[in-house]
Amino acid sequence: MKSVATIAVGYDGSPDARAALRWSLQLARALDAKVAVVHARGMLEHLDATSHPEEMRRDLSVLAQECHFDEANLQWFVDDGDACSVLLRAGEEPLSADLLVVGSRGRGKRAGFLLGSTSLEVAQHSLTPVVIVPSAHAMD
Amino acid sequence: MVLVVNGAYDDSGHEDPGHPERPSRTEAARAAIGDLRLGSDLVVVEPYAATRAELTRVHAGGYLDELGAYCYAGGGDLDPDTYATFDSWSIATQAAGAGLAVIKELRRRDEGVGFVVARPPGHHALSDRAMGFCLLNNVAVAAAALRDQGERVLIVDWDVHHGNGTQAIFWDDPGVLYVSTHQWPLYPGTGSASEVGGTHAIDSVINIPLPAGATGDVLGRAINEVAAPVIDAFDPTWVLVSAGFDAHRDDPIAELQLASSDFADLARGVAGFAPRPGRVALFLEGGYHLDALRSSIHSALSALLGDARPDERSRGGPGLEQIARTQSARRAAIETLRSANDDEEAP
Repeated sequence: MKSVATIAVGYDGSPDARAALRWSLQLARALDAKVAVVHARGMLEHLDATSHPEEMRRDLSVLAQECHFDEANLQWFVDDGDACSVLLRAGEEPLSADLLVVGSRGRGKRAGFLLGSTSLEVAQHSLTPVVIVPSAHAMD
Repeated sequence: MVLVVNGAYDDSGHEDPGHPERPSRTEAARAAIGDLRLGSDLVVVEPYAATRAELTRVHAGGYLDELGAYCYAGGGDLDPDTYATFDSWSIATQAAGAGLAVIKELRRRDEGVGFVVARPPGHHALSDRAMGFCLLNNVAVAAAALRDQGERVLIVDWDVHHGNGTQAIFWDDPGVLYVSTHQWPLYPGTGSASEVGGTHAIDSVINIPLPAGATGDVLGRAINEVAAPVIDAFDPTWVLVSAGFDAHRDDPIAELQLASSDFADLARGVAGFAPRPGRVALFLEGGYHLDALRSSIHSALSALLGDARPDERSRGGPGLEQIARTQSARRAAIETLRSANDDEEAP
């Protein structure tokens, strides 16, 4: 079995994404792995008024400190596209993540959408192992 | 030459306050048509809601069921970019039907050019997913209808974003040639030159990624050098255009540098790939700066209708050096796929 050297976690600033990131940081600390925080940049983020990636990036430091995770092993990665495609690409070069982590719901309201759920789509299409962190963890 | 357009339908119910994909876009497009003062050379056909049979040529039935139900439950955000409202299902099916109505009229008349004034746009919509402001893939629905009638369809997509949905839908269909010019890197992250079609349709996809700042002369040269020889060999019987106007230098969500008048050259060049009049239709995709949208549509349609205007074009932007790299990446990808096919066929 291949060891887990890099964990890629999808991040959009939502409570579920924060829970997924927190879970990833804790796992990575236990495995001595790196964490690549992957943010999918959509079309609207090219309009200044709706762009928050810098804010999200600052959140990462806070979460890393809370989880006692060495920030030197934390990578912020922004890629253009929808959340599902961007996370799937994290399993390919250059990131070549060994594990993909995603919250069960993102910022869209389509969480109950069978065909539209990012987490389900990632799980369906990924060649890399996937962990879906349930919403309940967002309450922790 | 006549211009065939779909009649207006009420798209005001598909709106999210502050979102750039908004009803005033179709108002700007219709204003551009009015600016042409075509009189009896303007043919307006009644749009209709595309039927389930017409939509399932390209969309999964389950997706259509869910999208309809989601809208009628009140709608909401489908992803951080894409919204739906209670009225969106009705409006999106009319957008898809508008393209079919325009194509049908062009076939009947065997003359003129078509312009489908419809929103929401379509080229990002996948078979089973809405994304990038798009719910149903309008140009794909039209192309699939033409395919069913035995036509060979060229789709040229000059929107500033790669049309990942259209590419994916026809990925392995040798009867549809998809050509896209787009800024890269940019949303949706697809559209590299090495994406050339599936194993049953090698060289049926031509992606021409261009750097931010590229100008109209670069786009024109890239199409002529990279795409034109393949298009000539494909010998299309129809030409559909995913006509986004967000490659304009004033557009707020991308960084290509085209002037409005560049769309005249693009339109004229693309129409030249059609076998005869009555076989070219433009479908409105992106374009979010209303004045730029209006003037760009006016330029494109003027050129298609034969009115050459000596306006200033954009020149001198980066990207010429990218053309050779695009050619090289395409050749390598095509060779790899052909070798794989040969290996499979070998005893």
